[in-house]
Amino acid sequence: MTSDHDVIIVGAGLAGGILAGVLAEGGRRALLLERGRALAYSDIPSDHLRNHRLTLYGDNTTPDPAGHQRVFIDGAGVPHTVLPHDARYQLNAFTVGGGARVWGMQAWRFHPDDFRMATRYGVPDGSSLADWPIGYADLAPFYERAEHEIGVAGDHAGTTHAPRARDFPLPPVPRSPSAEWLARGADRLGWRTFTPPLAVNTRPYLGRGACIQCAQCIGFACPTDAKNGSHNTLLPRALASGRCTLVTRAHASRILTDGSGQAIGVEYFAPTTTDSATLERRTARAQTIIVSSGAIESARLLLLSASPLQPHGLGNHSDHLGRHVQGHAYPIAYGLLPPDVEPSLLGPGVSVATTQFNHGNPGIIGGAMLANDFVKLPLIFWRQSLPPDTPRWGLANKRAMRDLFRRGIDVRGPVQEIPSPDSRVTLDPAVRDTFGLPVARLSGTTHPETVRTAEFMRARAEEWLRASGAERVWSWPAEKKFSAGQHQAGTCRMSADPRDGVTDPFGRVHGHDHLFVCDGSLHVTNGGFNPALTIMALAFRTAEHLLASP
Amino acid sequence: MSPTPSQLTALRSLLDRIIPADDFPGALAAGTDTYVLRHLLGDGSAGVHLLLGFSQLDAESVARHGPHQTFATLLPSQQDALLADLAAARPMTPWPPQLPAAPWFHRFVELAHEGFYADPANGGNRDAASWGMLGYAPRTTPERAAP
Repeated sequence: MTSDHDVIIVGAGLAGGILAGVLAEGGRRALLLERGRALAYSDIPSDHLRNHRLTLYGDNTTPDPAGHQRVFIDGAGVPHTVLPHDARYQLNAFTVGGGARVWGMQAWRFHPDDFRMATRYGVPDGSSLADWPIGYADLAPFYERAEHEIGVAGDHAGTTHAPRARDFPLPPVPRSPSAEWLARGADRLGWRTFTPPLAVNTRPYLGRGACIQCAQCIGFACPTDAKNGSHNTLLPRALASGRCTLVTRAHASRILTDGSGQAIGVEYFAPTTTDSATLERRTARAQTIIVSSGAIESARLLLLSASPLQPHGLGNHSDHLGRHVQGHAYPIAYGLLPPDVEPSLLGPGVSVATTQFNHGNPGIIGGAMLANDFVKLPLIFWRQSLPPDTPRWGLANKRAMRDLFRRGIDVRGPVQEIPSPDSRVTLDPAVRDTFGLPVARLSGTTHPETVRTAEFMRARAEEWLRASGAERVWSWPAEKKFSAGQHQAGTCRMSADPRDGVTDPFGRVHGHDHLFVCDGSLHVTNGGFNPALTIMALAFRTAEHLLASP
Repeated sequence: MSPTPSQLTALRSLLDRIIPADDFPGALAAGTDTYVLRHLLGDGSAGVHLLLGFSQLDAESVARHGPHQTFATLLPSQQDALLADLAAARPMTPWPPQLPAAPWFHRFVELAHEGFYADPANGGNRDAASWGMLGYAPRTTPERAAP
């Protein structure tokens, strides 16, 4: 055993990089374990069949898809062993920086009422809807810090759903003519729109260049490194401090505990030398352990770390660990721009949004932010965005592609899900990973209230396109399905009372003085927004809490 | 296993109907057959069983139009009518139980468009022919990007 570190962080994703940066700059010696590799721009292929927006045959960051299956239980209860590129796997990028290497960069603060859903709406039957043990005001200073230290471009005056004390550090992304057209449509409905916040350098910032508005954005790495995350901000600061050791291709297999059940270290597998294919088992000890591996793998690691004192997994004292899995239902309305609106294929593309329907919808629980979409790949357009009566092959299809590709427009939004205790991560009893450890088993489905909210938002999305003057408008009904994906959350919910969750309001696992969780797992509910900025704010908050502790 | 010459001929004729040439290049001019073959024969030949469907395609053609009337010899309108039958699960000949006609055809519709609209490095969109038709370019190099 070595104890060269004060803190071990399992996962160098968006939260892990922030934890490492704040803690290392604050004087703590950090060991940062990351299952994936540190990838340069040129290491992340521009493959339109294998990327994080369309994973037809693979993706562009996963180092070793074989040997890291998950088991997905379908609606009929049948298990399916799935690889990372399968949609049922619920993949988020396994690489230094995590999903933020390839993300769409929407950097939203949650609405104040997103932290008090049960108080505002009551608890629907069969759901585990609950309030967060903290409120918006607790996170506001850390939202602000994330906006400035990660780099978020936004419209300070227009972003009014949550109180803001300070402007964004970067001016908002430019608007395309089609976004202006949508804004005029919203005006006709009396809906207020604004340019949404994106973590992108709209001008040079923090030593890196500006976005060049290329047309291969979400799902891919950024050619000018203008796509902001912890990999190009807080993590470099951690490494520059000299107090952070980053080990890549390091697979954590167990949190080690002592005879009293307290966490004392991490067991992991890592390459014998930097580029070796051979992995060896290692252990590392530290005063503090932070699990930051995403809602599925963080829950799995705590389950894998069962001890005689906690035979059902660390933090599973009240049977909440691995439950309440949430992502976002995503209603989409599609349409066609009228010929007099100039089409554009400029990235990132998301440049008009409304928060008119996040709350206060009669008879509906919660809601969603709505925005236009990212610049689309041709193949994604062919698969998803042609009008439903378009023939799927032949000249008619080709001409529809030619005529409509640049005129396609869609409006979509992340619907706040109503959590269900039966939507969960457990350990599979049969399937093992390459290290012989049980893989994550994903089961359960959407709560009916989520479907109702999604249908309400789908109708609003269609209404927006119609009011804007779209030539045609269509959409597809919401369905019940297991929901996690890139927005995965909820499996280690925080709670004031240990009976109600896995961690305390700072992410410290109840009953464990030295063990923390820090990622979307903590989210009691996942907001009607992309969750990344909330994950970042929690990371800053947990790190500062640790620095303030002896 | 590699495709027989007659299977190859049928495959190219099929791709030519799924994405025909018009004012812009179709699947054949863009090399989409290269992509499809690479897909069928690569990755442990996972798709090689689909090749049998091309012999079935010729059998469908003969059943409709008489001896020696393989799929490639038909007029485009005849080819399209035959494919519409397959798409609607109305084959005239028995297909193997593990290779029903409609899913086989729909799989090639998917494969053809994947190759044709994906990045040129995947082999089915030579010289970014389809992207030229759409007015799409990734523009990921700073010097080529829009201002």
